[in-house]
Amino acid sequence: MSQTADVRMQILEANRKAAEALRRRFSQEKTLVVNLISSPGAGKTTLLEATVARLAGKLRTAVLVGDIATERDADRIRRLGLPAYQILTGGACHLDARQVEGALARAGFGALDMLFIENVGNLICPTSYDLGEDFKVVLLSLTEGDDKPFKYPAIFTKASVAVLTKVDLQNIVDFDVEAVETQIRTLNPQAQVFRVSAKTGEGMEAWCRTLELALAAKRA
Amino acid sequence: MHEASLALELLKITQGVLAEHGGSRILRVKVAVGELSAVEPELLRYAWEAVTLESPAQGSVLEVEFFPARQVCPTCGPVQRSPGSWLPLCVSCGAPLRVEGGDELDLLEVEFDVNGEKS
Repeated sequence: MSQTADVRMQILEANRKAAEALRRRFSQEKTLVVNLISSPGAGKTTLLEATVARLAGKLRTAVLVGDIATERDADRIRRLGLPAYQILTGGACHLDARQVEGALARAGFGALDMLFIENVGNLICPTSYDLGEDFKVVLLSLTEGDDKPFKYPAIFTKASVAVLTKVDLQNIVDFDVEAVETQIRTLNPQAQVFRVSAKTGEGMEAWCRTLELALAAKRA
Repeated sequence: MHEASLALELLKITQGVLAEHGGSRILRVKVAVGELSAVEPELLRYAWEAVTLESPAQGSVLEVEFFPARQVCPTCGPVQRSPGSWLPLCVSCGAPLRVEGGDELDLLEVEFDVNGEKS
């Protein structure tokens, strides 16, 4: 005899619970948490190097970085004299909330104003996993092509901030910045879009100001 | 790409449901997959086949219900679109559209055998 049970729950229920616990903790500690998502090579680590260097002295920041292998990205942040912890996923294509929880316990960052979580380079899978962050930031570099928001709509609907990186290459590559911004706003009319070059510093001030305003809003 | 980890989570949950109801074998599992869930239904089915080997769900059917995302105009309501294509603005009034739904990734139903017999 067979029976059918009506279940109706999220498949990622365990992750959702872990993410909610993290969100409560970050809210009590009044730490702003940002989850950065992009394809490999879009410039997540480079943007973070420039960002934490600008905020250093004013704010206590730390970086958790997920990669399949090597400590290279965490090393790049540590070279600036700032705290970072590398999560090695051993092949997994995304970070989940339990990995973040475990990494925070091992990293021993202490009290923080801002925590940046640099996800595994992948425009697809990290989208599904809540890490307890305040918001997701999607990065798209000018060398990736200007059709990406419609090709990977999920992350562009979920990220409240989109950063177009490597804008110093605008005259070298065929990348229609306006068309991309239209695609992003089609998928998410409320999204904030920044044009940034970590190399020349263009747009860095506006991006960092947005982070500081979000921190102030969380503490208000 | 993360279909295998989703299938493993699904197996854990459905085995829990089976134990809770005193069932012996899982026959069918129905899930909801949204257009914006970043999950490929076909790959989820392959992953399910692989992770259920040697488990009480071996040979069970994974049924996938697909949910498209909707584009909604704040004044005119939902607008017509086909999956994969996006309207930049409302065709009637030109207002920006909100994207709603399509991020479903849920377990809906589990059908199982009781007493080890298949009906």
